[in-house]
Amino acid sequence: MTDIFGQTLNLNYVLLLPEIVLLIFSMLVIGIDAFKRQLNISGNVPVGLALAGLVVALTLSILQVNMDEDFARLIQVDSFTSFFRILFIAITLVLIVGSHEYIEKSVSHVGEFYGLLLLATVGAMLMASARELLTAYLAIELLSFSLYIAVSLARSDRRSGEASLKYVLLGGVASASLLYGLSMIYGVTGATQYHEISAVLSAGDTGLTTPLLLGLVLIIVGLGFKASAVPFHMWTPDAYEGAPIPVTAFLSATSKAATIALFLRWFGGPLLPIASDWQFILSGVAVATMVVGNLVALQQVNIKRLLAYSSIGQMGYMLMAIVAVGSGFGSDATSAVLVHLAGYIITNLLVFISVTHFFNQTGQEEITSFKGLAQSNPYLALMITAGLFSLAGMPLLVGFFTKFILFQAVVSAGHLGLVTVAVVASTVSLYYYLMVVRQMYLYEPEDGTEQWRLSLTGYVTTLALFVSLVVFGLWGTPLYAAADAAAAGMF
Amino acid sequence: MESETALYVNYLPVLLGGVVGFILVFTALIGARLLAPFSEENQKSTTYECGMLPIRRASTNIGMRFYLYAILFIVFDVEVIFIFPWAMSFLNVGVFAYWLMVLFIGVLALSLGYAWKKGALQWR
Amino acid sequence: MIPIEYFLTLGAILFGLGLFGVLSRRSAILILMAIELMLAGVSINFIAFASYLDTDAFSGLIFALFVITVAAAEVGLALGIVLRLFRERRTSNVDEASDMRW
Repeated sequence: MTDIFGQTLNLNYVLLLPEIVLLIFSMLVIGIDAFKRQLNISGNVPVGLALAGLVVALTLSILQVNMDEDFARLIQVDSFTSFFRILFIAITLVLIVGSHEYIEKSVSHVGEFYGLLLLATVGAMLMASARELLTAYLAIELLSFSLYIAVSLARSDRRSGEASLKYVLLGGVASASLLYGLSMIYGVTGATQYHEISAVLSAGDTGLTTPLLLGLVLIIVGLGFKASAVPFHMWTPDAYEGAPIPVTAFLSATSKAATIALFLRWFGGPLLPIASDWQFILSGVAVATMVVGNLVALQQVNIKRLLAYSSIGQMGYMLMAIVAVGSGFGSDATSAVLVHLAGYIITNLLVFISVTHFFNQTGQEEITSFKGLAQSNPYLALMITAGLFSLAGMPLLVGFFTKFILFQAVVSAGHLGLVTVAVVASTVSLYYYLMVVRQMYLYEPEDGTEQWRLSLTGYVTTLALFVSLVVFGLWGTPLYAAADAAAAGMF
Repeated sequence: MESETALYVNYLPVLLGGVVGFILVFTALIGARLLAPFSEENQKSTTYECGMLPIRRASTNIGMRFYLYAILFIVFDVEVIFIFPWAMSFLNVGVFAYWLMVLFIGVLALSLGYAWKKGALQWR
Repeated sequence: MIPIEYFLTLGAILFGLGLFGVLSRRSAILILMAIELMLAGVSINFIAFASYLDTDAFSGLIFALFVITVAAAEVGLALGIVLRLFRERRTSNVDEASDMRW
């Protein structure tokens, strides 16, 4: 197959199989849900189908780990792509297994919900694998649109619609400004392929500094919104609070990781030659994100909002490492970001799934409602404590290991000032994580010390996440090796 | 210089179309005004001249329900954006592109079927 | 030929008007229309660049096509969400949807 310029196009559809499988299964889930009355099927079919699709896609992605090939010059399947594919599919898998009780109880339109989660996963996977601006943009919108709807699906919760409205309106503005920025980049370089943009920009001064700078600023605004970087974070706490808890977890894990993947692809690839132009903007954003995210978290009373601000703070650390990517330490800084991302996601999923089960039992999400959890459910209290300590970066847990790698990479790139801010910020973060721990351990439960248990799937997922939290904290080599291989694919 | 005259030559049909359209519409309007019988009664300004007397204001908000139809319409409205360039280059792109377009329209038809099944076309 | 600056200025004006509309309007529907205006500015930019850079390079034009499509999808989606909010609270003004602060 050749394109109109006579260049050969590689149309090897096998490369896209994980995405295609997920798409087909998401359509199946949604379609079967629409006909559930005629087909007379049980309520477990949608979740079963979704899980089957995810498992097949995961197997296919694992089989493609060592590929390095492009599809029609639109999508690059390399080790970087494989890293994120496996990560995203695993997140969705763990989330569905860990919180299916919540989804069946507190989410309206269950079938569509599973379908949307699969679609969002596909969008995230394509964001990490795109090698062309239009493909990347469509992937962003696939992820965002699925999440706009998923946020609004909390059953009988007035906040859900409001959260979704804020998310969709601000998201629309953000993608408009991202597109305007992309049009500027396209206008200056005349290309949408990453490697062509990179070639034009590294060939020397284009003489068009103003449009280029305008484009950069607008791209950072657009992506910063998706990554909820300060000052574009205003939607984050509201969307997190109003959304169903699994969607909140998805927002804080997949959506953020996909944005960081895109940041790495763009700022470590096509935009790397003009690093000096965007580095100072991005370091400002990173500092503001770390400081504001962690300081505003101090006064939160709702656990979802607390975790929202905590994830904003975490984004600040990762943006800081992207500044380091621009300083010529691309490979090291990239693998550091990937390690931290993986550790952050494991930890965050543990916290969110535990909170989901807490909500299933009590129906509350205020921090004060965690009073005495250590007595009524010591196992869950331990899980949440471990997760929060890991987020704060306590030694022996994965959060410490990944943060150490990340800060080290940024320091060796010569950004000591940024790391100083990050260290202070993460010390502050320990305070608000401890507020939750204090509620659980130092107070008596309000409504008796009646013991309660999790469901079987709840135990399995939290235990698996907890074990990886501890194991990777003590022995992070496999994580680092995977991230290193992924980063090597990009540089 | 030549390109500029070419620009005007290209513009001429558009201008012509605009002028003719303007004239047509206004002849119709003015002709109706001149030729049609016209009376100055109050009844003329009611919503339905021959029906019952209106009970409320005629200008109410359009029901939110119409948005559903608008959204479904947009799907097939925007479809044209892709069909048009496809049709223009159809002879160059071959059979493969034909089946791709069939697939594309098939997916859209599926979406309509889904909306139908979900009762979006029902007036409730 | 008309200089490309004219088109870019038009695009920038549309984008700016849209941004102003987003910031100054209260009704969710009007904000959506303002976002459409911003996207129209973007499309004009892409088409202008595509036709001035190189007559063989379609990427800008294709980009514009997809921007229009995605914008339509976004409006459909956002209207659905506004509809839901309207059913719950009988309003589509964003400043009245303020259960959550800080």
